[in-house]
Amino acid sequence: MALIELHNVSKIYRLGSQSVSALSELSLTFEAGEFAVLAGPSGSGKTTALNLIGCLDRPTSGQVIVNDMNLGTASSRQLADFRLQHIGFIFQSYNLIPVLTAAENAEFTLMLQKIPKAPRRERVRRLFAELGIDGLEERRPADLSGGQQQRVAIARAMAGNPRVILADEPTANLDSHAAEELLELMRRLNREQGTTFVFSSHDDRVISQARRVIRLEDGCLAGDTGHDR
Amino acid sequence: MVDYLHLAWKNLWRNRRRTMITLAAIALSIMLVQALHNLSNGVYAGMVDSGVRAGSGHIAIYQTGYLDSREENLDFEDRNLVELITALDGVEQVLPRLYIPALAQSSRESRGVVLIGVDPQRERSINPFLKTLPEDAMVRSVDSRDAVVGARLLEELQIKPGQKFVVTAQNRDGTLHSELLRVRGVVSTGMKDVDGSLIMVGRERAGMLTGSTGSVHEVAIILADSDSAETVLGEITKLLDDHPGTEAVKWERAMPNLANAIKLDYASQKFIFLIILLIVAIGVVNTLLMSVMERMREFGVILALGSQPGTLRGMILLEALVLGLLAAAVGTLLGTLATWYLVTVGIDLASLVPETLEFGGVVFDPIMRASWNPGWMARIAGYVVGLTLLAALYPAIKAGRITPVEGMRHL
Repeated sequence: MALIELHNVSKIYRLGSQSVSALSELSLTFEAGEFAVLAGPSGSGKTTALNLIGCLDRPTSGQVIVNDMNLGTASSRQLADFRLQHIGFIFQSYNLIPVLTAAENAEFTLMLQKIPKAPRRERVRRLFAELGIDGLEERRPADLSGGQQQRVAIARAMAGNPRVILADEPTANLDSHAAEELLELMRRLNREQGTTFVFSSHDDRVISQARRVIRLEDGCLAGDTGHDR
Repeated sequence: MVDYLHLAWKNLWRNRRRTMITLAAIALSIMLVQALHNLSNGVYAGMVDSGVRAGSGHIAIYQTGYLDSREENLDFEDRNLVELITALDGVEQVLPRLYIPALAQSSRESRGVVLIGVDPQRERSINPFLKTLPEDAMVRSVDSRDAVVGARLLEELQIKPGQKFVVTAQNRDGTLHSELLRVRGVVSTGMKDVDGSLIMVGRERAGMLTGSTGSVHEVAIILADSDSAETVLGEITKLLDDHPGTEAVKWERAMPNLANAIKLDYASQKFIFLIILLIVAIGVVNTLLMSVMERMREFGVILALGSQPGTLRGMILLEALVLGLLAAAVGTLLGTLATWYLVTVGIDLASLVPETLEFGGVVFDPIMRASWNPGWMARIAGYVVGLTLLAALYPAIKAGRITPVEGMRHL
């Protein structure tokens, strides 16, 4: 049974009186433990596909099933709970909460999960060590470099032990060295912990690091290579 | 909960200057309302105290119907009622009085007057206007011919202390009866009508004029603590079983002018308080709305991470609660300091208003002093915290309505 299934998924956005088709009849499946990239130029539907997989949005038509849950029939409350328990997010611009320290940011999902402070701290301490950012726990996001902020964002995504981590252009704001390090880190986590990574990118250097490459063009599937690797 | 409180605290100081300005506005409004209320409370208490001591007492006993008609034949024999009531717990003084409309005549002028028959010793210990009179200016006994006369009336009758004058009133049998009195003291209440018509004599002498010796129109009861009025009223009502046709009432019924004047003044103050609090609420809505609109992207991320919209709403309401509680603490501290100043020093209106200050038929002290009312201060602080929460509802609902994707699209 696949972890993520998209069946004939379409997404149409309404902008005033105009309709814009972001995805059209897209069908995809992801197995647990995959390290896949959604590739394509800007406007190809990568972010929309990630939003649908991440239960942040609903399709106009078609079915999205993640971890056996049909997102089309779930309530908003169920979707929020599902995201909290099963999905981790990494954003292009990190989106850390500026008033919280790095450790508090990483703990945020655990706080939402109502996990007590002591185990929360311990979990984040271990994650920070694993991600090479130990010692930065008490720093505010503004006092961290882009690469460090993105690692804190990964720690936040990883903290709740999600089945899937979705990353929207995670390296777009990083220099090539930091981007390389980040990708290597994601690969290691995928390899060692079996966490499924699905991320989007339009950077060929990043795309080449993925085991599976799904190409999107104008909201349609234009290629899917390495599915069986 | 501690985590969310911690988060609320941090978010509150995200824009330090804006939070400080809002906090100051709320705290100052609390201080203003608390201090003004305590000042009014003190002034009202002073007026009621002056009013009951010079007037009906905290509780008064009348023949039924007298209060409405003021008909002089509606008197009653007090027998041992004064002694019985004096013996009750919480009663400071009991003042039996006769009120007789009469004509005062000197050798030169005549005026219509209200002759008040009193027990001079009892009355002097309570009545603020008699307290300041020297001993040799006071009516000596209940049946003496001594009279304490209003200053204006004395002037109009063109007589001086020590001189004689005559008062004439209708006797019970319908005939006119006159008594010769001597001016012993002069009283100046500051109220023109009272000073122009007041003659105070011994109760027995007044009774002789109308043939109602041993009767009274009013028994005014002064309490040691006005809060015990309800209890003492109950006990007095029981004593009145032996005096059929009489009723005991509280000062609000006996002196409706004063009670209504205070009510009206208090109502207008409440309206001003409401306006102050509304202005504060608008300020709080503005601050919180700005704070929410600035953080829409962040809220989108929080929702994306798995927060329920209700949790997000709760976070914003918690911020408002922390803001409200902080403002309530600072405001109450300032309100306490302001009240302390108004209690100990007060506001002296004498230089601003040279005339005697009269309100609701009572002359009051030109130095306005506040009185402590901790319960009300706490209530005001509580109202403001509630109002802050109410003001946060709209921003919280607005934040809770966005979807994660909409939120994250905000720049």
